[in-house]
Parts: sequence; C-alpha cells; structure tokens
Amino acid sequence: MSMEIETQLSDQIARYLDLAASEAKLTAANMANVDTPGYRTVGMDFEAEMRGAMDDVDQGRGPRRVRVTDVDGLITRPDGNNVSIDRESLQLAEAQLKFRTGVALLRQEYQRVMDAIHADKS
Amino acid sequence: MNLFGLMETSGSAMEAERMRAEVVAANMANAETTRTADGGPYRRQEVVFAANGGDAGFLDAMNGSMNGSGNGSGTDSMNAATANGGAGVGSASVGIAGEGMPGSPALPPLLPLPGAQNVAPGVRIAQVVEDPSPPLKRYDPGHPDAGPDGYVAYPDINPLTEMVDLMGATRAYGLNGSAVQAEKGMITSALEIAKT
Repeated sequence: MSMEIETQLSDQIARYLDLAASEAKLTAANMANVDTPGYRTVGMDFEAEMRGAMDDVDQGRGPRRVRVTDVDGLITRPDGNNVSIDRESLQLAEAQLKFRTGVALLRQEYQRVMDAIHADKS
Repeated sequence: MNLFGLMETSGSAMEAERMRAEVVAANMANAETTRTADGGPYRRQEVVFAANGGDAGFLDAMNGSMNGSGNGSGTDSMNAATANGGAGVGSASVGIAGEGMPGSPALPPLLPLPGAQNVAPGVRIAQVVEDPSPPLKRYDPGHPDAGPDGYVAYPDINPLTEMVDLMGATRAYGLNGSAVQAEKGMITSALEIAKT
C-alpha cells in the first residue's frame, strides 16, 4: 500500500472549502449591491456543486467552475433590486461555518498523516 | 480562488456607502445655502449606485466564459442604472461625481452567465445626480440674494428624507463591515491549517 500526504479525503475537503469560499463570495457580492437599482440576487446550489465535486475527485478531474444561478422567491423592491439583507446575513454565516468546518476537518486529516509519519517515535 | 477578493467586494460597498453618507451630509449642511458657484441656491444631490465589473480574475473563475473585449458597456450599465434608479431625478451630472470616482469608463463589462444574471462583485457610484425640483421661495426682501419680487430661493431639502437616506447608508455600511469581519475570520481560520 502506498502512502500519500494528499489523501482523497483531504482533496474532497479542499473542494468543500473552495465551494464555501464561492458561496461567501456570491453573498458578499449581493451584500455590496444591496442598494444598487436593478440588481438581482445571485446564488448557487451548494449541494449539487458538492455532488459534482465529489464525482470529480473520484474521477481525478480538476475543480470545475461554479454554476451561478438566479435566486427565486425574493421580494423585488420598486427599484428592481431584490437583495434581502436577512437572507444574505444568514448565507454569510452559513458559508463561514462551512468554511470553518472544512478547515477543522482538513487540519484533522493532516494531523492524521502527521501522526503516521511520527508513529515510530511514540 | 482567493479569499481576498471577498474583501474587495465588501470594501467597494463600504466606500460607496460612505460616499452616499457624505453626499447626505453635504445636502444637510447646505440646506440654507442661497449662493453657489453656478449661481442660484444649492441643489439637492443624490448618488446612483451601479453594480461593479470588479475583479475580472474572480469573474473568470466564477463564470467560465468571458465575453472578451472590454468595450464600453460600462456606460451602458451606467445609463441603465440611471434610468432605473432615477425616480424623479434628472440626470444632470455634477461636481462630486467626476473627481471622486476613479476610472469609471475603463470598467470591465458585466458578464453574461449560463442560466443566471450577471454576477457583479462590488458596487460603485455611477453618478451623483442633482434633484431638478424647483427651489423653495421664501419672502425676505432684506436678504442680499432676494429677487426683485422680494423672494429668496432656498434649496428644497427635507431633513426627513436626508435622515432616512443617511440611516440606509449607515445600515448598509455596517452590513458590509460585518461581512468584512466574517471574511477576516475565514482567512484567519484558513491560516490555522498550517499550524499543527
């Protein structure tokens, strides 16, 4: 059995972090345009993207681009803008937590590999 | 994929909102101004926001297809924003607009996405427009700026409107400020990966 520093799990977590960052980025874009006339909220389907990313890792493909979608069900204001501050705040908190979760998992995974490296010393 | 692009997006919004607050402050400061460089009373000003083309690298990573050549669609979106946003506001561009906004003509165009609207990271002030409503006339024949009929033209500034606008700007500023805070937290936590 070969030993790899980069495990499949660490690869998967890296994709997860990328997607969480993309989600935060879209949210930041929405927040920035909270007062821009005619601006429409953008979003992404995190679960679908994650499924695709897991497939990519299995097949050994590189990361793909995120599909950005329109967000339905928001109330459009008279100036044509439909950004909801509440939604964006929640989205950002969610993306932040996802990111932190990913970081914690990735640390643990690297620690596991580290422990294996130093296994002879204990 | 860089996390710092996020800060730029939120930063551009904070900049724009602060500018909006400055314009409100200028309006309130000049509520009784009867003399200006252009002659006549001070005229109420208002900012028009437009979604920014922003960081092209991020857009490329995000959307895939760049629609190439940076032709002047910046002005198109600017016009559109004015048309949408200008509820009862004329499009006379004034002083503050020109100097405050760096390089608005050179902005990259917004990118069309498959099955979605354009993603616009960030925001910018497209224009500062002047309120075309006529000045208020007050009878004060002793005033040096009084007309032959004894009426003085004062700016039509409603403190209530200005305060509401200021509150909106403050809230949006705070919102983007907390977004920056969140982004900082993400970057800091990413640094933790390296610490073992």
